[in-house]
Amino acid sequence: MASEIELVDIQAGYGRAAPVLRGFSVAVPAGSVVCLVGPNGAGKSTVLKVAAGLLRPRSGRLLVGGRDVTGLSPQRMLAAGVALVLQGHSVFREMTVAENVRLGGYTLTDQKRLAERVDFVKGLFPVVAERWGALAGLLSGGQQKQVEFARSLMVDPRVVLLDEPSMGLDPKATSTVFAQVRRMRDAGTAVLLVEQNARRALETADLGCVLDLGRVHLAGPAADLLADPQLGELYLGGRPGEKRPAAQEG
Amino acid sequence: MPSVSSRLTGGAAVLLLATGLLSFPGLAPNPYVLSAGIVVLHYAVLATSWNFVGGFTGYLSLGHGALAGLGGYGTGLLVTKAGLNSFVALALAMLLVSALAVPIGMAALRVRGASFVIVSIALVLILLLVFQSWASLTGGSRGLVVPRPFDLSRPEHHRVFWFLFSGLLALALLAWWLIDRSRFGLGLKAIREDEDKAEALGTPTFAYKLVVFVVSAAFTALAGGLYALWFGDLDPVFQFSVLTGSYLVLMALLGGVRNLFGPLVGALVVGVALEYFKVEFGNTPLHLVATGVLLALVVLFMPDGVLPAAGSLLRRLRPAGEQASIRDVTAAELRERRRAEEVRR
Repeated sequence: MASEIELVDIQAGYGRAAPVLRGFSVAVPAGSVVCLVGPNGAGKSTVLKVAAGLLRPRSGRLLVGGRDVTGLSPQRMLAAGVALVLQGHSVFREMTVAENVRLGGYTLTDQKRLAERVDFVKGLFPVVAERWGALAGLLSGGQQKQVEFARSLMVDPRVVLLDEPSMGLDPKATSTVFAQVRRMRDAGTAVLLVEQNARRALETADLGCVLDLGRVHLAGPAADLLADPQLGELYLGGRPGEKRPAAQEG
Repeated sequence: MPSVSSRLTGGAAVLLLATGLLSFPGLAPNPYVLSAGIVVLHYAVLATSWNFVGGFTGYLSLGHGALAGLGGYGTGLLVTKAGLNSFVALALAMLLVSALAVPIGMAALRVRGASFVIVSIALVLILLLVFQSWASLTGGSRGLVVPRPFDLSRPEHHRVFWFLFSGLLALALLAWWLIDRSRFGLGLKAIREDEDKAEALGTPTFAYKLVVFVVSAAFTALAGGLYALWFGDLDPVFQFSVLTGSYLVLMALLGGVRNLFGPLVGALVVGVALEYFKVEFGNTPLHLVATGVLLALVVLFMPDGVLPAAGSLLRRLRPAGEQASIRDVTAAELRERRRAEEVRR
């Protein structure tokens, strides 16, 4: 399957410090969720920054739809079809849900296309339609996250980059958020997901990639990674295949 | 889309404003009251003009006094030195100030927050020095006398300028309202909330800030120029004063920066209070003390301004079934609810 976004042998870091990513590569096929897991400091968020154009790699290539887009600005990356949903809550809290969603389609100048996208995201995220006129800051954390997802889909991106979407959410809201990630995937969007809640993320993803010290430590189908005894011990906090109560998740 | 009740409220406010503007010259008991009314109306235009930048982008400029001064001196100099018709001079001065606002904005809008405030103050102080020192052109500290555009009696002169200022206010309000409902306005409001986030979503933040700064400068220059034609005497100390910018910030904050009529309401309160203090207590700094106290009270008790606070009070008094939609919650209420939520947790 052709990759929507591909990072090839990326070396990247901050300032003059040692590189955080040391020859990292990953490819996200269309209509799939690829999940990056790994310990703190492994470089997961740095991968997303490079993919979104927020951090220029020192070496390596970034391909979107087969086109080399290495070094493009965040705005041009957005135009190229890469949307980023930031960690935590990034809605414009004192603007309505409608205004937030429309801001996501700010680069769309065709009003008909804009209306179509609004209808599309309203259909995909019912809470967006239900709370259309409400101030975004008054929504719950899970609802705000869905508004962010809807906003990111307004430009009909090839790829959505999600940075810890379950952060700060209760288990119920986390379940809803992961269900929405699957819906985005089912709608044909490629999703690159970074998540601390590794078990939950791998249950949602098609492919997984374990990052350690800026390199790929393990990669493969998410179900295989979940069943991998080494991964279970190191990163998932338990024996492979061992189911934890829902209350402990999230 | 605005609700029916907010449309009705808006329509009633426009009707009230139009009635007030049209009837005041007939109701004013003497020319002094009418001239004091013009001063307040002048403040209302300036505060509304300031609100293009302050209200939409959240950038607090204390330098708008300088833009008004440039409009005033530009108009005055084009009349006295170039011999232009007063209103041609006014239009030309507006264009010149708008053009000058481009490099000023390009320099000032690169910084945010307190740094922007300091840059805007520096603009006022630099222009004060220039206009005081360049006496051969500006008249320096002796001031600049601007001829009246009409050969009318004093009361008639006031009456005509009342309507001119009213027209300018209506134009500024219309422009603000149109921007508020546009895609451009949406981008500006996103800048006010989080500039980096807005940029990440594809809003050309710098270009937008610059355009709205130039629009604001154009209206401010028109207000300054019209004031020069009405008052007829310009002094750099009063034209290029940081106090003017501070008054505008106070007026806009008092009325509510996110509301079309907020700066107008603020100008009514502050403008009338300033006139009252000057008449009652003469040339003392008491009006400055009162202004400071007012600003402190507004920031403490009505951070979103009088109009949002009044709207919120009205909603609380309404029976539960008639309460407005969730959209009408003010930013202050939002903060209050968040705090309560955090305490509960």
